[in-house]
Amino acid sequence: MHILIATDGSKQSLTAARQFKSFADPQKVSDISIVAVIRPLAAVSFADDLSNLTPKQVAEQSLSFRDAAAGALSVIAAEFANWGPKIHKRIRSGSPANEIIKAAKQLDVGLVVVASGGRGISSAVLMGSTAQRVQNYAPCPVLVVRPKPRKKAKASATS
Amino acid sequence: MSEPNVTDVTAPASQPDNNLKRSITGRLLFFYVLGDVLGSGIYVLIGSVAGAVGGAFWIAFAVGVSVATITGLAYAELVTKYPQAAGAALYVNKAFKNRAFTFFIAFCMLSASFAAAGSLATGFASYFIEVWGLPPELLLALVFILVLAAINFIGITESVVANLVMTIVEVGGLIIVMIIGVIYIAQGKADFGTLVEFDTGGKSPLFAVVAGVALAFFAMTGFENAANVAEETVEPQRTFPRALVGGMVVAGILYVLVAMTSALVVPIGKLAGSDAALLEVIKADILPIPVGIMTIAFAIIAMIAITNTCLVALVTESRILYGMAREDVVPGVFSKVHKNRRSPWVALIFAALIISALLLSGADLERLVAVTVIFTLFIYALVIIAALKLRHQDVDEGTFSAPLILLVVGILGNAMLFGYVVYTDPTSLIYCAALLGVGAVLFVFEHFFGNRSSSASDMGV
Repeated sequence: MHILIATDGSKQSLTAARQFKSFADPQKVSDISIVAVIRPLAAVSFADDLSNLTPKQVAEQSLSFRDAAAGALSVIAAEFANWGPKIHKRIRSGSPANEIIKAAKQLDVGLVVVASGGRGISSAVLMGSTAQRVQNYAPCPVLVVRPKPRKKAKASATS
Repeated sequence: MSEPNVTDVTAPASQPDNNLKRSITGRLLFFYVLGDVLGSGIYVLIGSVAGAVGGAFWIAFAVGVSVATITGLAYAELVTKYPQAAGAALYVNKAFKNRAFTFFIAFCMLSASFAAAGSLATGFASYFIEVWGLPPELLLALVFILVLAAINFIGITESVVANLVMTIVEVGGLIIVMIIGVIYIAQGKADFGTLVEFDTGGKSPLFAVVAGVALAFFAMTGFENAANVAEETVEPQRTFPRALVGGMVVAGILYVLVAMTSALVVPIGKLAGSDAALLEVIKADILPIPVGIMTIAFAIIAMIAITNTCLVALVTESRILYGMAREDVVPGVFSKVHKNRRSPWVALIFAALIISALLLSGADLERLVAVTVIFTLFIYALVIIAALKLRHQDVDEGTFSAPLILLVVGILGNAMLFGYVVYTDPTSLIYCAALLGVGAVLFVFEHFFGNRSSSASDMGV
């Protein structure tokens, strides 16, 4: 089975990848495509919070969102090093949900793994949540990894 | 579509390029440039330009557009060499290799954009009041900026389609104006003598035109934001020069035609006295549609145009701040990205605050335009110099090369206008100094209190 793991450069997307790895059977996974989508018209087209964890890479080069996306892909790919399946790193450009869904169709994947950063109202009220749209339109099952609730979670009253 | 097994995770960053998918085609870039340029200008300040020159004010637009388009050639050349999102700061960094100077330019870009957004907010409020008569204007402008910051935070205008639709609406508004002009001429009411009239209050026509050009120049700013999407452009070496210069030329032609129409249809005094001058053309009641409906429709078009450009201005500002924070020249909070929306929320709030401060400072539209133009002319001149300095570097067969003579003319044009604006409106310099002062404070703060994560030698935003 081919698996698509999406990353927006957030730590939550790394958590999602780890979550998937924690229960998946590498024997049954043939390929993993890690997909990063650059949003050309956004204020920050791609923010890489992952390779920032090792700070020396920053400031070496002029701002390149492609480099940022490549950095995030490498960090996620490192999670799956020597795990078994073939790893493909893919950068796309456009609207994240659309591009993830398109990639899922083109690659004929069996599962999409996405992170949902939203807690409470921000994900319930604001439209255009990527995870939500992927769930609604993906051609295959979707694993949405939500963040752990805050200490005293009031069970997401808005949903 | 299979790639080699990536067990070596330290593979170079070029690895994903096997699956390169860039989304901005030449056509989309053309509309991006066109929309960005159109919104910044004619809807906002056609009245001011008319007031400065008289009936012949279309000449001011023609000259301003030409100088800007020549500058666009320099941008096109540099983008084909360095297709990255940083724009002028990157080029200046490549040409002069001086960290402090690069920071200075980056902050000039930021200041220009702040002042431009302030002007646009003022223009938006003028149109809004024309339709709904809801004073106070200042409050409207402030709310406008806050709403745009929120929209950018949420990210709902990132859709390329939305951008395209807004641009088509903007062009539509100007076409309405031109149709009115054609009907007016067909009715035989047009007095073409107006088009060569100078009403300059005793100044020489040349001086008046320069004054008009300095204002009209604002109408062309915004094209440099095309660098925002340079990295995501399909075949940038081929498409970028065409789309950028093409967008500017089309915008320029529209400007000159609209300026001529306005001069023919509406008495110059009325244009000059109006805060929403293009509405006066509509109010001349020439189309066979009730003037009330047309006025509202046109005001909405104008507001969409202004909004589009102002949104891009905010994107540019927060992006510059984000880039500078990543380079450790301003405090690191500016690189904070909201974990869910992936927007640089600190930078957006900061930008909204600075623009609000400009609006609250009591500066009128023309002052803010002057501040924008001073910064922009300075940056444009430097970009052309950078283009000349980098002429023989990083050239390959696909590099676009702008004609040398035009670049020299461009530097002279920018320098002359710069001198003129500074000379005639010295008060603007106080605003410029204040904006640069903010930059200096951020720089000093980061220098003494920031924890520098690296000793970067190369600085591009």
